[in-house]
Amino acid sequence: MEAPQYVAARVQGALAEDERTNELGIRVDVRGEQLFLRGQVSCEERRELIADVASEAAPGLVVRNELTVVDVRTPEEEEKL
Amino acid sequence: MSLRIAAVGDVHLGTDMGGRYRSHLTGIEEKADVLLLAGDLTRHGTLEEGEVVVEEFRDLPIPVIAVLGNHDHHSDKPAEIAAMMREAGIAVLHDDAVVLDVNGERLGVVGGKGFGGGFAGKCASEFGEPEIKAFVNHTKRIADRWRTALKELEADRRVVLSHYSPVNDTLAGEPPEIYPFLGSYLLAEAIDAEGADLILHGHAHMGTEKGVTPAGIRVRNVALPVLGRAYGVYCLNGDGRC
Repeated sequence: MEAPQYVAARVQGALAEDERTNELGIRVDVRGEQLFLRGQVSCEERRELIADVASEAAPGLVVRNELTVVDVRTPEEEEKL
Repeated sequence: MSLRIAAVGDVHLGTDMGGRYRSHLTGIEEKADVLLLAGDLTRHGTLEEGEVVVEEFRDLPIPVIAVLGNHDHHSDKPAEIAAMMREAGIAVLHDDAVVLDVNGERLGVVGGKGFGGGFAGKCASEFGEPEIKAFVNHTKRIADRWRTALKELEADRRVVLSHYSPVNDTLAGEPPEIYPFLGSYLLAEAIDAEGADLILHGHAHMGTEKGVTPAGIRVRNVALPVLGRAYGVYCLNGDGRC
């Protein structure tokens, strides 16, 4: 059986290199039969696409998609320097 | 007069995102005098995504100055994307400077993509295989160009705009193991030598907004996921009032 660290590294590599995602900042953890995705993405479609690419790179694992979509607020405050 | 600088990086616009970010820019002229973009404007650096960037940031009521990021280099078309942006009136820095007249003050912005290598005491050296030498040398050359641009800059206010980080303060939250891929102290060393009022960067999505260089220059990580708002606004006037 492949060590979970190598599976996580393969998924992380796929997320960075797959043209559909090219995401570098996603945290990937494998625990038993589960694969956890954590981090922030720009929209819901992207969140789902990342889970799809991760699932393809690690078939057989249950993907737990814990990615959150960045909530872009309108700036209200300014910092005085 | 006060000088209000809006800044954001890492908007990562794809071809499916046209108009989404633009909606947040309505009324920006009420909040800021200039908008600085800290790279990673696209996802894959394709010309199609470059076109989305152009449409998103063109014809704003305030000047826009940008640098590109590593994502904008992925399809080997950074020069073409920069040319498209310049054609639309957006200044794109490539290790050089631009000076704007804002409210009667000369705002000088120096910058470019920057690069990695790590931070003092925990960094790569120009030693060993050609690949490692090339990696470190790329950062050194960029830092040298910034030093020269800052030395020659004639402006009342001096801002450095980068994609990669010059300090590790603003990386807090990122895994320390990847710091060498997020920035380099060589950039800060060059800026500290010549002086600046503010440094803006992106790239580190899980980092922290506020930091400072060893010489005391304020650094702000304006990556969109770090800010959580459409852009940060930083008011420079030296006396703490806006």
